[in-house]
Amino acid sequence: MSLSGCPHVAAFKKSKGTKPFRIIQAFFVSCSSVENVKRKARAGSCHVCQQCNQRLHACLTCVFFGCYTMGHIQDHARSTKHNLAVDMTHGTVFCVPCGDYVYDSEFEQISQEERLNCSKFHGSSVQGFSAWEATGYEIELLRRNPTRKKVSGSSTIGLRGLINLGNTCFMNCIVQALTHTPLLRDFFLSDKHHCENERSRDNCLVCEMTRVFQEFYSGIRSVHIPYRLLHLVWTHARHLAGYEQQDAHEFFIAALDVLHRHCKGHNGASGNNPNHCNCIIDQIFTGGLQSDVTCQACKGISTTVDPFWDISLDLGPSSSSNSAPLPVPIIVPTPLPDFSLDSNSSGSSTSSSSLHNGDSGLMSPPGFDDVPHSLDDCLRRFTRPEYLGSSAKIKCSVCQNYQESTKQLTMKTLPLVACFHLKRFEHSSRFRKKISTFISFPHELDMTPYMSTHRRANGLSHHPRSNRTTTSDNQYSLFAVVNHHGSLEAGHYTCYVRQHQDQWFKCDDALITKASVHDVLQSEGYLLFYHKRILEYE
Amino acid sequence: MQTTIMADYGDRKIKDAQMRASINQKLVETGEKERLKELLRNKLIESGWRDELKAHCKEVVRRKGLEHVTVDDLVAEITPKGRELVPDEVKRELLHRIRAFLAQQSNI
Ligand SMILES: [Zn+2]
Ligand SMILES: [Zn+2]
Ligand SMILES: [Zn+2]
Ligand SMILES: [Zn+2]
Ligand SMILES: [Zn+2]
Ligand SMILES: [Zn+2]
Repeated sequence: MSLSGCPHVAAFKKSKGTKPFRIIQAFFVSCSSVENVKRKARAGSCHVCQQCNQRLHACLTCVFFGCYTMGHIQDHARSTKHNLAVDMTHGTVFCVPCGDYVYDSEFEQISQEERLNCSKFHGSSVQGFSAWEATGYEIELLRRNPTRKKVSGSSTIGLRGLINLGNTCFMNCIVQALTHTPLLRDFFLSDKHHCENERSRDNCLVCEMTRVFQEFYSGIRSVHIPYRLLHLVWTHARHLAGYEQQDAHEFFIAALDVLHRHCKGHNGASGNNPNHCNCIIDQIFTGGLQSDVTCQACKGISTTVDPFWDISLDLGPSSSSNSAPLPVPIIVPTPLPDFSLDSNSSGSSTSSSSLHNGDSGLMSPPGFDDVPHSLDDCLRRFTRPEYLGSSAKIKCSVCQNYQESTKQLTMKTLPLVACFHLKRFEHSSRFRKKISTFISFPHELDMTPYMSTHRRANGLSHHPRSNRTTTSDNQYSLFAVVNHHGSLEAGHYTCYVRQHQDQWFKCDDALITKASVHDVLQSEGYLLFYHKRILEYE
Repeated sequence: MQTTIMADYGDRKIKDAQMRASINQKLVETGEKERLKELLRNKLIESGWRDELKAHCKEVVRRKGLEHVTVDDLVAEITPKGRELVPDEVKRELLHRIRAFLAQQSNI
């Protein structure tokens, strides 16, 4: 295999130049005009055997197409002394006398150019893939740092215990979850954060996260002491300062908020997500929650979509649930039903009749037990229509009157990473308590039933799952679970994280131990982190 | 009896080839083939297929020596492995796309 051409290519270029090659590229390999595409479609078969799928090649000297597998292009070359042929799928040059493909930098350059034109012409949203080629700077870096680390399937790189700095397990478990978020890891390890202000680097949480990621993935196995991180979060989210036990969920949201703010400079209004920010945090964590308020008088629907970073799910019986949403930067409108509308404790459907006549006779009695037992139960409850009560009249945007209404929340757009917060802590003016019920959650989660497109269409029918569409886009995999142990007053946080595809580890501050999926799924989850299984290109 | 079966078989083979050619023509004409290629390329890259195959190729080249290996040798050695390593999900998605495309084409 020669990487520097061959005498035949050199001779060809000398007598005919590169033009014939470019013409074949543009006409028959990477077409970028309607005319050429048509021509290619017509010409696409072997002149000898008429077959189209036997590695078709075009003669570089005359108009001849022959297949490689059956030897028709080789026969042509030998009988005509037309030595070179172009592979019509890949655009590479085959030299018949040499018996191999030949690489020539000029030809390579041309085929790359034509390929780019082609992908533009076909309206491809993605820049055609080209392999990474090291720049001079990168070559120099590689030379100066000769140590290479290969991450194998059994490697423990990325696992590091964290010292508890006095009740800081709430932070440690979030750091573990974040450092095991695949997209975030890729972002930080590829050094994508370019700090806006040189002087404020010490003050930038994103820079500090970069250091934390480097610490985690350095291969060093001793415990890490995250004091700088803690200090930075304290300075930027003052309500978390102090050495008393804090709420891991609150810390998670605060950390995302500070990271999002410190990404400034990369934030732009151009983001595709509902938060209209294209910082890495919003790209990964932001989803859109649709709220449909239906007027009971005219049946008109007012729709709004709000960004969210996490979904807080009620665990108590819906009739007594009375908790206020946490003061988070992005407030997820938590349904606060006065009555349960759903007399169906299996929760499989919400019948439209009971909803639409708004007759309180059809309401469940107060205290009716419909506590959720699974993440699915929680999500079904979260996305079902709720009667807002006769005292909460809302001005209808359709009939312009204050009317009784129902409200339904659904997922308009899904985030790449979905964080579910099971509201185990009930804070009210009267009491504070922890709900320790076991809530089952799956390893693989399908969000399709909770999508606006799906739920709204089916929410009013009696068969919510009948025309279910299974698209792989809405499939999620579990990758981290934060657990809270003990009581409100004397509690402790630990976290399960996934390494590679299927290995689980329990992180208990400085201690890291191997765990099974079973351990994870049987645990009393507090925060559940899922990532999308398939990423679409933007 | 024997001959008619053979004739049918030969007939079908010709028809299959014609069908294949006209499907290919449609795919090229509409630009769908380019889009499918791009989709496939991206899916294979993100599934790690490309990296795995590349490592395998490097191994073959190292074993035989760069001067003694032709593209044909390489193709012959890695094709079985390459086919085997394509994730089922990728195959399924591509098949789904092709079916959907053909369903739209009334005149094949
Ligand atoms: Zn040659
Ligand atoms: Zn042929
Ligand atoms: Zn020729
Ligand atoms: Zn920074
Ligand atoms: Zn942002
Ligand atoms: Zn109205």
